[in-house]
Amino acid sequence: MDATTAPHLIPPEMPQYGEEKHVFELMQTMLEQLLIYQPEDPISFLIKHLQRDNDNVPKIVILGPPASGKTTIAMWLCKHLNSNLLTRDNLTERKSSSVATEARKHYQKFKGWILDGIPETREQALVIQTLGIAPRHVIVLNAPDTVLIERNLGKRIDPQTREIYHTTFDWPPEPEVQDRLIEPEGISEQETAQKLLVYHRNIIKLLPSYPRVLKTINADQPCVDVFYQALTFVQSGHRSNAPFTPRVLLLGPMGSGKSLQAGLLAQKYGLVNVCCGQLLKETVADKSKVGELIWSFLEKKVTVPDSVILKMLTERLDQQDCVQRGWVLHGFPRDVDQAQRLDGLGYVPNRVFFLNVPLDSIMERLTLRRIDPVTGERYHLMYKPPPTMEIQARLSQHPRDAEERVKFKVDLYYRNSTELEHFYRWAIAINGDQDPYTVFEYIESGIINPLPRKVL
Amino acid sequence: MEAPRSREQQARDYLKTHRIMELLDHLTSVLLFVRPGNPREYLISVLECMKIAKETNVPFPYFMDNSNITAMFEMLDNSGKGTISFLQYKEALKTLGLCDADEVLSDDGHIINLPKFKKEVNKRTQEIWSSF
Repeated sequence: MDATTAPHLIPPEMPQYGEEKHVFELMQTMLEQLLIYQPEDPISFLIKHLQRDNDNVPKIVILGPPASGKTTIAMWLCKHLNSNLLTRDNLTERKSSSVATEARKHYQKFKGWILDGIPETREQALVIQTLGIAPRHVIVLNAPDTVLIERNLGKRIDPQTREIYHTTFDWPPEPEVQDRLIEPEGISEQETAQKLLVYHRNIIKLLPSYPRVLKTINADQPCVDVFYQALTFVQSGHRSNAPFTPRVLLLGPMGSGKSLQAGLLAQKYGLVNVCCGQLLKETVADKSKVGELIWSFLEKKVTVPDSVILKMLTERLDQQDCVQRGWVLHGFPRDVDQAQRLDGLGYVPNRVFFLNVPLDSIMERLTLRRIDPVTGERYHLMYKPPPTMEIQARLSQHPRDAEERVKFKVDLYYRNSTELEHFYRWAIAINGDQDPYTVFEYIESGIINPLPRKVL
Repeated sequence: MEAPRSREQQARDYLKTHRIMELLDHLTSVLLFVRPGNPREYLISVLECMKIAKETNVPFPYFMDNSNITAMFEMLDNSGKGTISFLQYKEALKTLGLCDADEVLSDDGHIINLPKFKKEVNKRTQEIWSSF
């Protein structure tokens, strides 16, 4: 095999750098902008685009039937994200601009835009799209018609600030504002019902225009709840097409299910399952240099020092299959010191999960483990009981599953866990006290979805 | 529908005439190779260099210079006889991003040695860069 047919050996620093700096997304937005505007001089255009640096500004569309609270949510999001709000009213007020030029102007001023109630029909959506304006998040508020009709009857507007209030849900505290409020036109039951009919007709055709970026939120709940749901949605990124080799770290007390989850992950995604304890045994059995060194410690019943473990781990993680396919590490690091040294050597995981299980569940899971000395079959007195009384009579327990030892190990973990959580600030905490496949689904969604980005 | 399809066609033509994909490939390779701390500023500086080079007709900052091409040729020619096979030549051009997968290169029966390889790589790189 010569250099052209052999698989290319890419130094691991390159994909790590690419992931960290989001190079793929950067190139993708550059290509999108080039295709939308098709400038004659691509180089100057790209220079201006890079200088503007507005890839992450909010680009949100909020849709919903009348009285669902669109404008309120839009105004709150605007204030929170420091962005610009564009509604049909404030656009028709400006005589010479259209939606497109307004939105484009705001986009170029790095604050992004939030469209309230636009587009209303599929035709409008298509026009906006051909002009190159594509929202990154679309929120659709939903509520039953009767609730909306009732709600609309209580709508009041403050003519000076144009803020919307409500007689029951959102009554302004200041008495001057209360006196000023007027009823807007078009809120009688019939008019609302008609507007709802038109809305329903149009929204059915509009929803499929935004397949991957859409989220429906139930508007029949307190305003604050709707707002928080909208905010979390807007701050989360979408799955990107960037190449991604998962380097997963599973942390949790003994009995939280780390080995099980690591096994499932390795099986489904082809990652390499690196279990620290297992690796130690394998290295000793291999009788390599490191193995002999480890054996000398184990013989004397002394804990193997961190540097030796790290040496063994680095050897394993450097191998080509780990670099190419990604890895799942569990059983290491156990405290911040080890974590810092692992980091220093350059093995930074890109997803870290903390599996939280309460002590009672751990005791239940571990102290009821039994093994049949004759067949070697492993049983659990609650989850996988032995089929016959005869087998049950001869079961025995592994000494490391004894109650005191389990308690000791769990205590040891919790002593170090707060520091570890601080070290891996962007880790994801998962409730491990559920059945394995539910936990696996949570871990999967944590790996596949991009890490939530803090709002600028 | 006629209108959207022709816009897609417009977009594809635009990509081809301005060689956008090759430009982006080059930028990505440079970025991954150099790994600057601030990728945006570095890309801006690279693009400014290219702009200046284009306007003042100075030779471009090529990614693969002569010593790299020689090194690559030597890697391909592992028996040291000074020539590479046609298949290797085609694969090498594909790896460098200088020819499409389905472009048909004519195998004119002559052996491909180092000067010829260099000439071809330089010629294609020049072609791409002149259209930026």
